[in-house]
Amino acid sequence: MECSFALTGKDYVIIAADTTAARSIVKMKVDEDKIKTLSPHLLMAYSGESGDTIQFAEFIERNIRLYHIRNLYPLRPQSAASWIRRSLAESLRSRSPYTVNLLIGGFDTADESPHLYWVDYLGTMASVPFAAHGYGSYFALGLLDRYHNPDGSLEEGLDVLRRAINETAQRLVVAPGNYIVKVVDKDGTREIKL
Amino acid sequence: MSIMDHNGGSVVAMAGKDCVAIASDLRLGAGAMTVAMNFEKIFPVTDRIYLGLTGLATDITTLRDRFRYLVNMFTIKESRSIEPSTFAHLVSSTLYSRRFGPYFTEPVLAGLERTPSGGFKPYIAGADLIGCLNFAEDFIVAGTASDKLFGVAEGLWEPDLGPEDLFETISQTLLNSVDRDAYSGWGAIVYIITPEKVITRTLKGRMD
Amino acid sequence: MPDMSAIANPQQRQFNPYAENGGTILAVAGADFTVIAGDTRQSEGYSIQTRYASKVFRLTDRAVLAVNGFAADGNMFVKKVKQRLEWYRHNHAKDMPLRSIARLIQTMLYAQRFFPYYVYNILGGIEEDGTGAVYSFDPVGSYEREACRAAGAAQSLLQPFLDNQIYFKNQTAARGYSHPAHLPLPDVLSIVIDSFTSATERHIEVGDGLEMYIVMAKGQTLPDAVTNLLPEELPSTGDGERVFVLKRDLKKD
Repeated sequence: MECSFALTGKDYVIIAADTTAARSIVKMKVDEDKIKTLSPHLLMAYSGESGDTIQFAEFIERNIRLYHIRNLYPLRPQSAASWIRRSLAESLRSRSPYTVNLLIGGFDTADESPHLYWVDYLGTMASVPFAAHGYGSYFALGLLDRYHNPDGSLEEGLDVLRRAINETAQRLVVAPGNYIVKVVDKDGTREIKL
Repeated sequence: MSIMDHNGGSVVAMAGKDCVAIASDLRLGAGAMTVAMNFEKIFPVTDRIYLGLTGLATDITTLRDRFRYLVNMFTIKESRSIEPSTFAHLVSSTLYSRRFGPYFTEPVLAGLERTPSGGFKPYIAGADLIGCLNFAEDFIVAGTASDKLFGVAEGLWEPDLGPEDLFETISQTLLNSVDRDAYSGWGAIVYIITPEKVITRTLKGRMD
Repeated sequence: MPDMSAIANPQQRQFNPYAENGGTILAVAGADFTVIAGDTRQSEGYSIQTRYASKVFRLTDRAVLAVNGFAADGNMFVKKVKQRLEWYRHNHAKDMPLRSIARLIQTMLYAQRFFPYYVYNILGGIEEDGTGAVYSFDPVGSYEREACRAAGAAQSLLQPFLDNQIYFKNQTAARGYSHPAHLPLPDVLSIVIDSFTSATERHIEVGDGLEMYIVMAKGQTLPDAVTNLLPEELPSTGDGERVFVLKRDLKKD
């Protein structure tokens, strides 16, 4: 089943999402990238109803891009997250709501600080030091409570992420096999091999 | 489980002598799972009015944004800041405008109302999710621990408390109430509003 | 031709053997006394059946039982507990100790595990070692000994208040001082009366009257502050523990 994790550290945010695209009990694809790079310093992991996820993520991606083109500078993470949340909140009370859960991680180049937001399909948004969506959260959040260090180095952050992923692999019956891990810091976004 | 209980959280407001207090917990949950321990539910409206929102978190954020917009528009059009009693009716009509598809939130507001003589009078009010106002002389409670808050506040509150005594009363009321509620807790934040200043204090509770 | 309409339009009828009669009960244990209290309103829905129905009953010279929930079950349960205590007295020529009454109540409640007495019980009194004790039960017999407990309609209003005032929860003692493990009787009575006035104010099922039973340990006398309240002393069998009753009016609206 779908799992995504994220955590902040000293000047960075790590986001990990599994790579399976499933329909019912069948795996349709095992190398799907479910973390979009919305702007040079902004990442968004998405999960939920299969049609909704891509449709919504691309809508967000194009509009964040449009803002960047029009204004020559991108939205800051706080503003981007707030706008994305509003999109979901408005969708919730529309005729066909998007069932999409998000982890939005960004690095604010203006004040050099990492930001992570937990957002669910209702439009609930929380600014958090670490977060998870899906069944993996039942295993990850406890470990993150215990081991997360907000001032940790990138290596330390990746070690904590490994703990969360390993525990999920060991204890969750329907654990995903593969994850894509991305990092955002002052140098922008990049993918990392765990 | 009701939609109003999905994210948990509680707010209480109390009137004192020439001061008011409003306090909330800091938990945000998704059912039984705690997602964040820093989710604030009380927002400044003017420098003399604070608004607390309990219920569904998405609506708390939406309404916070909406009231910020409406109050800004009021301030620009009227060239003066909004009074608590006026704001209470703004809250009420905003909620009632969604009568048949409501925002799932119960607001609590605390402020100091300007009197004709130029002084300030404590003003607290609450409303249900469709905007039925409740003006109280003593205290207003809302959220998943509301029944507990009623019991403790009724036992601890007394009229004409000064700022520091009111702080102690509202803090004890909130802390002891959320300790008996699984959906509220993880610390608290208290605002004491006096004519001169607003005192903000963050409390550590049982943190479980 | 059978009656086809009965087959085509199936109807269901259900008899509900339970009711919920409101009210609330409360007990606090002191070092050498216990206070067991309950309001006297009995209601069903929005209707008040009576403004005076006792929920607190003396079992022995040192045991008092408060029952709350479904009044019919409560009364029947008290009757059966009293019967068992009388048999014990006939067999052993003495009253059953408090902790044994607690275990007896568990057994009697669990015996009805699949058709429970719909009542929350609080047993208060004096242990054999002379200490005040409160035992609280759920409807199927889970129980524990505590220093204080509220149950019934206004449990959620009262219990956090008692946590604060009896257990001093969320209160830090001044440097060099510590909170008392047990409060004196006049303090406990004040807290009990305040609790019920609060519950009466904010809960529609609580009010009318308040009955407070005070069980004093052997050799203990009531403090003057309490004697001045003119409690009625219930006749006791010997020179051991003594039971007093204090009644107060509560708002009737």
